[in-house]
Amino acid sequence: MSDGQIVVSGLTKQFKRVRAVDGLSLVVEPGRVTGFLGPNGAGKTTTLRMLLNLVTPTAGTATIGGSRYADLDQPLRHVGAVLEASSAHKGRTGRNHLRVICAAAGFPARRADEVLDLVGLTPAAKRKFKGYSLGMRQRLGIAAAMLGNPRVLILDEPANGLDPEGIRWMRDLLRSLAAQGRTIFVSSHLLSEMELLAHDVIIIAAGRLVAQGPVEQVIGGMAGGGVRIRVRTPEPEKLVAELGSAATAQPGENGALLVTGVDAPTVGAAALRASVELHELVAERPDLERVFLELTAGKAAIR
Amino acid sequence: MTATTTTTAEPALGRPGPAPLRLMRSELLKIVTTKAWWLLLLGALAMLALAFLVNAIGADFAFGESAPEGIPAEDRAAFEASRNEVYQAANLYTSGQFFGLMFVMLLGIILMTGEFFHQTATATFLATPHRTAVVLAKLAVAALCGAVLWAVTTTLTVPATATFLQRYDVPSHLGDWPVQRAIMLNLLAYGIWGMFGVSLGVLIRSQIGATVTAVALYLIGTAAVQIILAILEQQLGWDWVSNVQYAMPAVASALMVTGTDLPGEPAWWVGGLVLVAYVVVAGGLGILINRRRDVS
Repeated sequence: MSDGQIVVSGLTKQFKRVRAVDGLSLVVEPGRVTGFLGPNGAGKTTTLRMLLNLVTPTAGTATIGGSRYADLDQPLRHVGAVLEASSAHKGRTGRNHLRVICAAAGFPARRADEVLDLVGLTPAAKRKFKGYSLGMRQRLGIAAAMLGNPRVLILDEPANGLDPEGIRWMRDLLRSLAAQGRTIFVSSHLLSEMELLAHDVIIIAAGRLVAQGPVEQVIGGMAGGGVRIRVRTPEPEKLVAELGSAATAQPGENGALLVTGVDAPTVGAAALRASVELHELVAERPDLERVFLELTAGKAAIR
Repeated sequence: MTATTTTTAEPALGRPGPAPLRLMRSELLKIVTTKAWWLLLLGALAMLALAFLVNAIGADFAFGESAPEGIPAEDRAAFEASRNEVYQAANLYTSGQFFGLMFVMLLGIILMTGEFFHQTATATFLATPHRTAVVLAKLAVAALCGAVLWAVTTTLTVPATATFLQRYDVPSHLGDWPVQRAIMLNLLAYGIWGMFGVSLGVLIRSQIGATVTAVALYLIGTAAVQIILAILEQQLGWDWVSNVQYAMPAVASALMVTGTDLPGEPAWWVGGLVLVAYVVVAGGLGILINRRRDVS
């Protein structure tokens, strides 16, 4: 496996009555954190599980570094995955959970202690899994994924159950792993978190691709370049008349005027020409959340 | 991949050993890092003590009594055969088998269904996407655990039986082939029942479902079938019908481990064939289903 590119092509999964994933194609590049976004039930988890040979696709292919997961020689040395938080035997200690995986993968048992140290779980190493908090379970999942020092990391909702400090820790870890040239593919529905973490985003809804690309590009690709001007003036009618047909204006909160289609200097110049008094002039960049809601609007989450 | 990775400290992962050995080691670790195994061992040892007591009382009776008067010749022959010292010795040496086999089967079931019950199947199949290899490793480890329980019980029953027989001035018969065969077949039974448990676990993924089915079949089902068949034989006079009971795993197993062939019963190896057939069919079917089943 020379590089860690993930390629999904025409991937489809038909459950009994639901087409969970519907002809999905996407590419995840190495050296970047790629956010995988979609409403609940969009097919994110099913896609990740098909990528990892846990769910059999109805049609299409999914490869990591050019190979199907099942064809990878010693997969844990190439790919690490964190799927659900509660995936260890309740009565087994965290350390023993990792040692079981080490034994199957042929890693030395010492590796278990190394990754426990990496995720800061060493003090809880000999405690049983049932006594772990949700955050500790996530850390154990990441420890398991890091056992083989993989070039590709796939994480399904890793921020679930983490406290703010844990989320920050996760963000720093994933960012630094990506900086090392690894592929980081992480699904989430926490949009604000993704905006801080991801370089690229892939948005799906109802099992289909909605948008894919660098975060700025996906946000910028939205309505009218995406930028919206909030302006506050005692004479909004006069300003709107001066702006002309290039701009679209609509009333906002607290008497503000929301203008799209033009940039902030244009609005300022128009105000000067019309001798309109301005109390506020702000260019608002849309956030990922707004883009996400607009893109996935009307695609019912419950199918 | 090491050439392109820019990690500061590349961890030493070592060279992996052969896959089957890795998987078996992993499965053994799964067993010894949870407490189910020693609960089952305690249960098996308690039942062993009870079974030895019952068998000893039976042997005491057999050595002391002659056949009751007025019973049919066929039954008399069976009675005389059971009076045989070798039969009693073999029976004592293999004490605890009935429940021991059940506990080994339960261990096999837990080994397989625990993966789904505790959602560890994901981690297991991520480490080894070749699911058939995982199931085969579980079969091997379950057989190994059966062998260990056999070794433990036999280590206890051999001196106990020898001491018991001495009190009746009966030799230990450990040098006799039928006794040796019974002890060896007991080992085979323990191994097969472990594998039988795993096979059942692949077929019935629910831990509770598989356990309840297995125990019900083992304890109640066998007796129920025997009673029904006995009634059929009595009422309809179908002699052959009693042979159907040997298709039940527990009866087949009991048949296999008898040191001597009792009159009116099929040969011991018929029981062995029935058991092996169960493992092959259930295990094979389970592996086929498991290969494409979605893990979520």
